[in-house]
Amino acid sequence: MLLNYTIDGFENIQHQDYYSLQKIINKLTNLYRLYGYHQISTPTFETYDLYVHEDSIPCDDLFKLVNHQGKVLVLKPDATLPVTRMAAMNHPNPDEIIKFSYQTNIYRNFSSPEMIKKEITQIGIEYFGNDSPECDGEVIGLAILSLLEIGIKDIHIDLGHVGFINYLFEELTLSSFERETLFQYIENKNIGDIACFLKPLNLSTAAKEIIVKLPTLYGEPKTVLKEMKALCLNEKMEGVVEKISEIYSHLEVMGLANYISFDLGFTNQMNYYSDINFKGYINNWGEPVISGGRYNNLSEKFGIPRPACGFAIDLMKVIDYMEQENLLPIDTQSKHVIFYDDADKAMAYTIANDLRTQNEISEVFMIKSDWGFHIQSLRENPLYKNAKIYFLSKGNLCIAEGDQYLSLKFNEIKRAVD
Amino acid sequence: MVIRFALAKGRVAKKAIELLTELGYVFDDYSEKSRKLIFTDTTGTIEFFLVKSPDVPTYVEKGAADIGIVGKDVLLEHPAQVYELLNLNIGRCKMCVAGYEDRPLPYGKKMVVGTKYPLIAKTYFNAKNQLVDIIKINGSVELAPIIGLSDCIVDIVESGNTLKENGLSVLEEICDISSCLIVNQVSLKTKRELIDPIIQEFKTQL
Repeated sequence: MLLNYTIDGFENIQHQDYYSLQKIINKLTNLYRLYGYHQISTPTFETYDLYVHEDSIPCDDLFKLVNHQGKVLVLKPDATLPVTRMAAMNHPNPDEIIKFSYQTNIYRNFSSPEMIKKEITQIGIEYFGNDSPECDGEVIGLAILSLLEIGIKDIHIDLGHVGFINYLFEELTLSSFERETLFQYIENKNIGDIACFLKPLNLSTAAKEIIVKLPTLYGEPKTVLKEMKALCLNEKMEGVVEKISEIYSHLEVMGLANYISFDLGFTNQMNYYSDINFKGYINNWGEPVISGGRYNNLSEKFGIPRPACGFAIDLMKVIDYMEQENLLPIDTQSKHVIFYDDADKAMAYTIANDLRTQNEISEVFMIKSDWGFHIQSLRENPLYKNAKIYFLSKGNLCIAEGDQYLSLKFNEIKRAVD
Repeated sequence: MVIRFALAKGRVAKKAIELLTELGYVFDDYSEKSRKLIFTDTTGTIEFFLVKSPDVPTYVEKGAADIGIVGKDVLLEHPAQVYELLNLNIGRCKMCVAGYEDRPLPYGKKMVVGTKYPLIAKTYFNAKNQLVDIIKINGSVELAPIIGLSDCIVDIVESGNTLKENGLSVLEEICDISSCLIVNQVSLKTKRELIDPIIQEFKTQL
């Protein structure tokens, strides 16, 4: 009854997947390093206090536990908050530019009955201390380059700006319930229900017309920019149009603009986003794999006012996609298995160590029955499918090929592999 | 590239297929008795498959289908991350609380509700600050109050005939229900040039 020992929402990563995961992580870490990001790590636990005042994650979604002092801890439910806290604690000069990258697991105690993953493997970057469109451009650009780097081509970034909706709603007198309901409808692009909901509200017809158009503000950037300009009610909204078009021009110069489309219908789900936010999609894959944005007001909560922008990639979703499209790096390195007679033990270990210094995988076993039996049982084991098998007996080394045993000199063992 | 529809089996699918036919798509291999699972139109631009209604939001959320047509009741009961682009004029009905008109609902003691829609019932009674015990029933919900399993039921009411025949009547209306056209959040962006015209066509039918 293995089922008794598994927990819904958590999974084992088997060796093939883990090999791919590690390869991907290495490639991405190196990419971020080349752009000047320093890799850091924060604890698995955070204090409950860090999240309870933050509306970004519902408290019900936190895994909580109590430590020996009676303090309530949570398994970290996101990476941005702890990384921001760390930057604030270790770099108190608010003018400093800090670039961090991280690779971590985060935990969400989703109550939904579906088999939703509760342990999410993320890699990402956070860029602190720079509020320019170039910084936004670098972060968005790196999100695209990350996927390109690991061999995914059908990439699609949806760029939005929470300010556009927020600055519009600032002009309107709405109760918090009305505001939230409308946000929900806009997020779901539920145009039919928006129209019904707006009808009885005491708003100008102009404002109602703009709200109905918000969910349709998506697609080809230049067209959307034109539509946005026509909808601006105040200077702040015009500022958003200008900012987002500057970022787009920057990405054009970087040669990455063809991956970008706009969607101004994103509302502020992660409450800390203050400015642009974006999601990364892969064509024909139903869920976003990247999510990011700018959060200029978050660091202030830790005492250091400092603008910041970043993103995170959901690595297991990316691996699921790559698996489906046969894009995963596969472990093709074959290995050497040396069986030895008790008397030849020292020699067997020397040969194996020699191979390891040449970066060859080698394993040794003592001969316990006849050679044929060893070969057969090894061949039946999928983990040793492509292994080269050798026998070392009475000072003689030979390799098993088919039904034959060919005699080898010790220094020929590497060449036999090539 | 093909646009894939997931349709909820039953009335909704029948009406949706009629709608698609009216819009000029021809499915010559489709008949109600067919045992095929996927049907493609003659131009090869859209295909559809029929699934149980609670599965429609799942297929669309995961991107196995680009577009789904399913009752609002299902979306309320099984919330999914999808765009609910249009309310269609098919499958119109109401989500109601029904029971015996002459038998007052319990006051000052626990009320028992039988329903196929535990989440909708719970949300509704919670909003009214009414404490209830909810019993999930998978079919013939009207039976529950008759044999004393529950005080009332929460169910969709179209004509009200089934209720009447069993001596029940509508006590409270919860919300209007119609079929919705839902779209996968990624497909809407990545297959926009194909999906937009289809949505415009559906809009003209409203």
